[in-house]
Amino acid sequence: MSSAAQQAPVLAARNIGKSYGHVRALHNVSLELYSGEIVALFGDNGAGKSTLTKCLCGVEQPDEGYLETPQGQVTLRSIRDAESIGFTTVHQDLALAPDLSVLENMFLGREILASDWRRHLAIVSRREMAKQTQAALEDLSINLPSVRVAVSDLSGGQKQALAVARAAMWSSAGILMDEPTAALGTRQSDIVCDLICSTAERGLAVMVISHDILRILNIAHRVIVLRHGQIALEKRISETSQREVIDAMVGYDERVRELET
Amino acid sequence: MNEATQTVETAPAPSNPPANALAIHPLRRILNSTATWVFGIDIILMLVFGVISPDGAFLTSQSFQALGLDAAEALLLATGIALLLGAGEIDLSLGSNLLLSSVVGAKLIVSFGAGSTGTATILGVLVCLAVGATVGVVNGLIVTRLRVASLIATLATLGIASGIANIVAGGSDITGLPQVLQTDFGIKTELGIPLPAFVAFAVWLITILLFKSTRYGMRLLALGSNRGAAQRSGLRVDLHLVLLFGLVGTFAGLAGFIDLTRFATTNLAGHTNDGLAAITAAVIGGTSLFGGRVSLAGVLSGTMLAVILQDGLIVIGLSPFYQLIAIGVVLVAAVSLDQHRRPGGLRSRLLR
Repeated sequence: MSSAAQQAPVLAARNIGKSYGHVRALHNVSLELYSGEIVALFGDNGAGKSTLTKCLCGVEQPDEGYLETPQGQVTLRSIRDAESIGFTTVHQDLALAPDLSVLENMFLGREILASDWRRHLAIVSRREMAKQTQAALEDLSINLPSVRVAVSDLSGGQKQALAVARAAMWSSAGILMDEPTAALGTRQSDIVCDLICSTAERGLAVMVISHDILRILNIAHRVIVLRHGQIALEKRISETSQREVIDAMVGYDERVRELET
Repeated sequence: MNEATQTVETAPAPSNPPANALAIHPLRRILNSTATWVFGIDIILMLVFGVISPDGAFLTSQSFQALGLDAAEALLLATGIALLLGAGEIDLSLGSNLLLSSVVGAKLIVSFGAGSTGTATILGVLVCLAVGATVGVVNGLIVTRLRVASLIATLATLGIASGIANIVAGGSDITGLPQVLQTDFGIKTELGIPLPAFVAFAVWLITILLFKSTRYGMRLLALGSNRGAAQRSGLRVDLHLVLLFGLVGTFAGLAGFIDLTRFATTNLAGHTNDGLAAITAAVIGGTSLFGGRVSLAGVLSGTMLAVILQDGLIVIGLSPFYQLIAIGVVLVAAVSLDQHRRPGGLRSRLLR
């Protein structure tokens, strides 16, 4: 994504700060998300990852600073607000209804109604929703047994893939993903990583919050490390190393290592 | 939960079969469903009672009409409760809601002295439906506004509605309702079908359409399947719940009206257990008590099971109290069998 740097960011956080009582969860955090680019957000527990994510997806509002899109400054008061500027979120719990079918989960809250008089009775067109779900899944090379099976019958990897596909379907600018590989085995994690790459290739900005450093470093274009609510490291993937990322996470300074050796 | 998923993922062998389980033939699915099994039991029971009953009295059209009439109110309540259970809620107050609706309806009809069929019927229907809907909406508001779990909220309104009903009635049943209510609706048959049964069946059919085909059915199931996901999908969860409680209350109000027209009197002592019987019927038919799974076909077969047992035992000259015992046993058997057959059910949980 060499061209990414020249474009305006699809979403930028400018000097964001957030405190909960006396606890300063975020301080002076600025970051930019570009379309087609995968940004990995790392940080130890309590580093501010989830607070930052919540500010970006509309669940929380920052105390200081602001968010900016190419259209100007925005305030996100809800997940719906974030969706209206083109950003969707894949939550760690996936937010899928297990008893509903794949297509119903895909369209829950945005159902397609029948095109004839039946629409006045709020009758849905499952055929149309199935068609569009199928297309969306194929677009990302996701293979499910059928779009009409219940989500409870899918494997963990398939559920994750479905959640990503749903986020991609309703997003026009970018996707935030919270620990997309945390619940998965090795093979499923690799499949989900391929999926993350193909969503980015479709021109969406992707931010992945993860503890799965090795795997996500393989697919990310840029790395941001949070520590104590501040950005401890931000580098292009080619300019950094796993060692540097982990050091930044735990606050392990170069000088300390020199002293040790 | 994460750990559980992980275990399944790292051991691929047991994780595969469920994916195909629903992809198999739809006919197979129908044959496998609890509702169908219970229908089978219904038919066997009818045949058994038919054989045992003197002169096959159980298999006459007269007997079928009685079955239909007895099933009408129960079917309305069970249909309503199945929807609520699907949305992850419960309503214990349906029985006393039915009672209150019928008492208020009766009181107004009597005090207006409505002699003509038309006025009595219209007034009765409207008042019963309105009272039923009101109790339902109050339930919904207690659950959504006061954040009281529906089990507790409706346990409270179960008592409250029944208390109000008794106070309004003045402690004794209201009689003196126009006979036409009975002769023109309550016990009238058209094409061999009692009108109340026809109405209840129509409501059941419309509910199936509502549940299977409209977005409200989908959303209702989502509410019971994963409330948080429903919220994050932008659904107005509280509004949906209040309206749903209101709709189910309206079903109880309609059942209350049917009760009035059948007996031309209220029945203060008779409806205490109706709500629980409705829950039993729905659960026997395969509706989950824990949300996300509704079987409206099972509502019909579960209701019929209760009614067939009740009427059949009387016809063969046994005490109808055996019905309570039989239904209890069937409830336990149905739910336990269901748990064992279901992927992710009791058996797979034990194996995990």
